[in-house]
Amino acid sequence: MSRVIPKLRDFAERLIAYETKGNKSSKTKTPAACLASEKLRPHLATLMGNIGFRALVSRVLVLGAADVPWLRAVHVKADGSFEGFEELVAQVDPNEFLEGCVVLLSHLLGLLVAFIGEELMLRLVREAWPELSPDNVDFS
Amino acid sequence: MKKPNDQAKSKLPGKSLNQPAKVTIRKLPSGVRGLDDILGGGIPEFSFNIIAGPPGGGKTTLAHQIIFENATEKHPAIYFTVLGEPALKMLRYQQLYSFFDQSKLGKAVRFVNLSDIVLEKNLDAVLEDIVKQVTLLNPSIVVVDSFRTVVRKAMATSGEMEMQSFIQRLAQFLTSWQATTFLVGEYVQEEMRDNPIFTVADGLFWLSQVPERNSVVRKLQIIKIRGQESVPGLHTVRISGAGLQAYPRTLGFVLQNKKPARRRRLSIGIPELDKMMGGGILEGDSLLIAGPSGTGKSALASQFIAAGLRAGEPGVIAIFEERPKGYIDRADSFGLDLKAPLKEGRLEVIYLRPLDLSVDETMQEILDAVERTGAKRLVIDSLVSLEMALAPGFREDFRESLYRMIVALTGAGVTIISTVEVEDTFTGFSFSHYTISFLTDDIIRLRYVEIDGQLRKVMVVIKMRGGNHSKDIREYVITSKGVVVIHPRSTEYHGLLTGIPTKTGPQVAQKDEASPEPKAQK
Repeated sequence: MSRVIPKLRDFAERLIAYETKGNKSSKTKTPAACLASEKLRPHLATLMGNIGFRALVSRVLVLGAADVPWLRAVHVKADGSFEGFEELVAQVDPNEFLEGCVVLLSHLLGLLVAFIGEELMLRLVREAWPELSPDNVDFS
Repeated sequence: MKKPNDQAKSKLPGKSLNQPAKVTIRKLPSGVRGLDDILGGGIPEFSFNIIAGPPGGGKTTLAHQIIFENATEKHPAIYFTVLGEPALKMLRYQQLYSFFDQSKLGKAVRFVNLSDIVLEKNLDAVLEDIVKQVTLLNPSIVVVDSFRTVVRKAMATSGEMEMQSFIQRLAQFLTSWQATTFLVGEYVQEEMRDNPIFTVADGLFWLSQVPERNSVVRKLQIIKIRGQESVPGLHTVRISGAGLQAYPRTLGFVLQNKKPARRRRLSIGIPELDKMMGGGILEGDSLLIAGPSGTGKSALASQFIAAGLRAGEPGVIAIFEERPKGYIDRADSFGLDLKAPLKEGRLEVIYLRPLDLSVDETMQEILDAVERTGAKRLVIDSLVSLEMALAPGFREDFRESLYRMIVALTGAGVTIISTVEVEDTFTGFSFSHYTISFLTDDIIRLRYVEIDGQLRKVMVVIKMRGGNHSKDIREYVITSKGVVVIHPRSTEYHGLLTGIPTKTGPQVAQKDEASPEPKAQK
């Protein structure tokens, strides 16, 4: 059974929808749906260091892979970024792929909530997406 | 600093008028109650400071309190975390303190992790990154936590000179950048001699935990602070939900009121005793009531407070044994209404059973209550139970701290009655087992005496620093009105103060009192 908290999942879906919409002509290799997790990386790495961030996303990946099997083929690089999305996006069903990205981001947000609480997690999200309106980061 | 002598003054007439102004060093509030008093006004702006001590001493919490107190979007703070407490954990726990203002995170308070650079690169790279971040954010406060780990790493890979050069460059850069800096590190005091960081630092805050039998009390010492006078010595610190709170040895107590030049005589609430004291206790005096258990010390103290309340003077009663309800109820049984003033905030009864508290914390509780109520009268009932309520290791400080508190309060015009239990012996006449006469302006001694086959009570005013007093030994009783002084002095007995007086006057025939023992009546 998935350990994703429904309201966090809903929040992650909204963030991914926003990110996908804004990245149709993305120059990065990472598929737009998975860019949301990537967008938090520099902010969290500043706070925790690359080593700390890598440890956190490794845990996220373990939790996510328990819910979405294809995530087992994804790896975490030394700087904490994910490796393998570029290849997998062509092999996995698009809906399944999106589900994987939602689950990863949900678990990342969930871990942040568990460690530092909702308010600080939202502050980090606002730092990563300063252009988001307050409605979009409404977490109530 | 040397004062110019008179000769120098005469050689340079008018020098002081034309002298350019000296530098003004602004002092930043620490955000820690009591610490600014200890520091001599606050933290000098642009100073380079070390917060040192063993693990668990409150170093990180102190650093957080300082940054959250001072950081704004215009004058932000940057908190570099190195090898030590992971940033997420730090945020997880520090946010539980009430001073932790989450709204400041990001813009006013920024956390930057340097652990990767420390682990993978050298001191130059560490300095380069600090310079880069500081230049980018332009912070007014910079914290490096834990600096000790930077030094350890550096010492393992570089020489001492490189280390010293790094510290020097860091200090110079941060000071030039107009940042007040705090390097947080786990050090032991023995390191102070050889470690260059302690030489460079302008301020050295030392936190420690002092164990004594089963108790542990946190202490803070300002070992060094350039440019201002700090209060020397070890000061007690407590960490609560509000963060650190420091208890300056001076008690940081500056009441608005000062002892009036012409002091009034205040009624104790026992007319005959007022007369014995030449019209009452002098305002701003400290009076000690000494006597064995059951002689009415607490009743007398309650009467003193009640008399003050009737005269519009708020009061504080500090008790350490009996619970407030019992104390108030007993006063009620003497016809003294303390409940209404308690409700109205004119009276505060503080009940302290602070095992493990230091004497300074206890004193601060009392001082806070005096400030809150604007008390003019204070009762400490009793000194013996106050001492017993303290952590064992801090009983040694008891007399010194009590003295400081009494001097501070009486200096501000508060009149104090303290009670103390003494044993009645039939060979001596002690006022107290403490040498506390220096604490008190006035002493009243209560004692039991055997008279006509009864155990009665007498009182005598032993000492009144501010004036003459009656030398009479007066008998008193405790009735439904409290302590009531009855007969005038007795001239029929000799040796009352021994407790076993000798009858020297005429024998008066008395009715036999029926024995209360049923068996004896048979």
